[in-house]
Amino acid sequence: MAEQFKGKLEQMDANRWRIPRDSCPGMRVEGIIYANDELIGDVISGGGPVQVANVATLPGIVTASLAMPDIHWGYGFCIGGVAATDIEAGGVVSPGGVGYDINCGVRLVRSDIPAEELRPRMKELVDQLFRDLPMGVGIGGPFEFARQEMKRILSEGARYVVSKGLGTSEDLAATESGGCLDDADPEAVSPEAYKRGADQCGTLGSGNHFAEVQYVERVFDAPAAEAMGLKEGCVVFMIHCGSRGLGHQVCQDYIKALRSVPDRYGIRLPDRQLVCAPVKSDPGRQYLGAMRAAANFAWANRQLLVFELRKSLGRFLGRPADSLHLSQVYDVAHNIAKIETHVVAGRGMQLCVHRKGATRAFPPGHEELPAAYRSIGQPVLIPGDMGRASYVLVGTQGAMEQTFGSTCHGAGRVLSREAAIVKARGRRIEAELAAAGVIARAHGRTSLAEEQPAAYKDVEAVVRCVVDAGLSRKVARLRPMGVIKG
Amino acid sequence: MARQCRTFEHTADMGLEARADSLGELFEALGEGLAEVVCSREQVASAQRWPLAVSAEDTEALAVDFLSAVLNVIQTDRFMVRDVVVASAGGNAIVAELRGEPFDPLRHAIAREVKAVTYHQLRIAPEGSQWIGRVVLDV
Repeated sequence: MAEQFKGKLEQMDANRWRIPRDSCPGMRVEGIIYANDELIGDVISGGGPVQVANVATLPGIVTASLAMPDIHWGYGFCIGGVAATDIEAGGVVSPGGVGYDINCGVRLVRSDIPAEELRPRMKELVDQLFRDLPMGVGIGGPFEFARQEMKRILSEGARYVVSKGLGTSEDLAATESGGCLDDADPEAVSPEAYKRGADQCGTLGSGNHFAEVQYVERVFDAPAAEAMGLKEGCVVFMIHCGSRGLGHQVCQDYIKALRSVPDRYGIRLPDRQLVCAPVKSDPGRQYLGAMRAAANFAWANRQLLVFELRKSLGRFLGRPADSLHLSQVYDVAHNIAKIETHVVAGRGMQLCVHRKGATRAFPPGHEELPAAYRSIGQPVLIPGDMGRASYVLVGTQGAMEQTFGSTCHGAGRVLSREAAIVKARGRRIEAELAAAGVIARAHGRTSLAEEQPAAYKDVEAVVRCVVDAGLSRKVARLRPMGVIKG
Repeated sequence: MARQCRTFEHTADMGLEARADSLGELFEALGEGLAEVVCSREQVASAQRWPLAVSAEDTEALAVDFLSAVLNVIQTDRFMVRDVVVASAGGNAIVAELRGEPFDPLRHAIAREVKAVTYHQLRIAPEGSQWIGRVVLDV
């Protein structure tokens, strides 16, 4: 099914493969895929390299079309794709470089609760969270916002939610971009998108979105872990979700709206999913305004979910939520486009950086980092599958130099949903997870089968690759105890 | 030959593959296939009508826009679809009627949320005496 790559693929070193610029027609830069020996087989057969080469044809692209080691094929860009375009040189922005789930991302909250204190009651806790966190297909949440309030959410993101007393300023400081992209344009979001998202802010959704109770199994970098409040043996809570139907609709709307734009600018595209517009054009500005609005919706979404999570834990433990010190470690976006300044060939350039299934990984000292993390680098949250491990990493100067300050985002799928369901026949995934010490509950009948560990790459190999390549450093490994899925 | 539509697997997502004697019947098959992905059509009564008219710059864009419109009716307007009846399809435009009923949580089990209809490996084309259609859905 995946389109096989017929161009040249040359190994650069133990963790990188190059697609030379003359490999495929129209490539303006080379492609670079981060993969080690364990991962390259799946990469080659997975269709991602074709998309890396396609992205290399985008106007204004600089340095290289990049892919992280959790690469698999996507729509337009592969998942794991990173590409930066030179705004002043007519560089484009492409909705395919952000994805349908705009600002899908991960949030991590830490605690002082010992894992062994919660473990005997994990089933009860999972049941409690399953009741309290809105999730599942076709299910809205307890918050339904009128149009004017929705516009404020789209303009102000998590800041608006915190202004209503549903979070803290510390939460905002520990969120990428402070939980809000400026220059969002709620007017650029369609009525259909508003309608689709009306009762979805504060909901987890379904598919590969989840809330997990985890514990810090091992700390690799003690000073960084201390800065983040991560303690070996203590419980943390991870949430993975995005902009829900509002974001999906924004992407769909603009893929349609931009369809005629490439012709107007003489841009030939190898794939219709790569529709784009120059950043400095009206259609480009409109898409970016709407994308930022959807990104803000996602940050508000995760802020509301953490509010509900803290309340739920307070109820469960019989103590006020405020007394539990459930402070936020960080919140990262892994489907987004941002205007950033990067050094290219010795010169500072303003670039439109697309990260699709890739995470920002800024190094120590970067001005965008909150004071608490300025000396250690930006926290990077890497969810694995629900049976194995997740990781906390930090960004590095190596990422700034090689990948526009980017790293991987997760494990990446290897099995289709149908194949995963077939593989699950005759098995009880829930029981298998319980035997491995993980209590799981899901809303959808096939959710656990579709999301079983075997459906994903081993996150260890992905993390090993980005660490060995110098894109990130390990801080801690987290193990799941309880999983709640839509 | 009766029109037919089946799903096919794709790593992270799902595809629809249909075959029919005419373009209009192809869109009927794909529309009903999409409805089936979200909620089993057996659970839905054909009690009300929802008109739909879509035009686009070419047949493939028309397929994406038409199926996106069907998806919006189901997921945003919460109107469950049992049947898709195309009155006319051609010249890059389609006029159709969706038959179904408003969402009832007691009778309609939502099987899956579809994020979007994509252009990935999209194919809407005549093949011999028939039309074939292949569409990938982001789920």
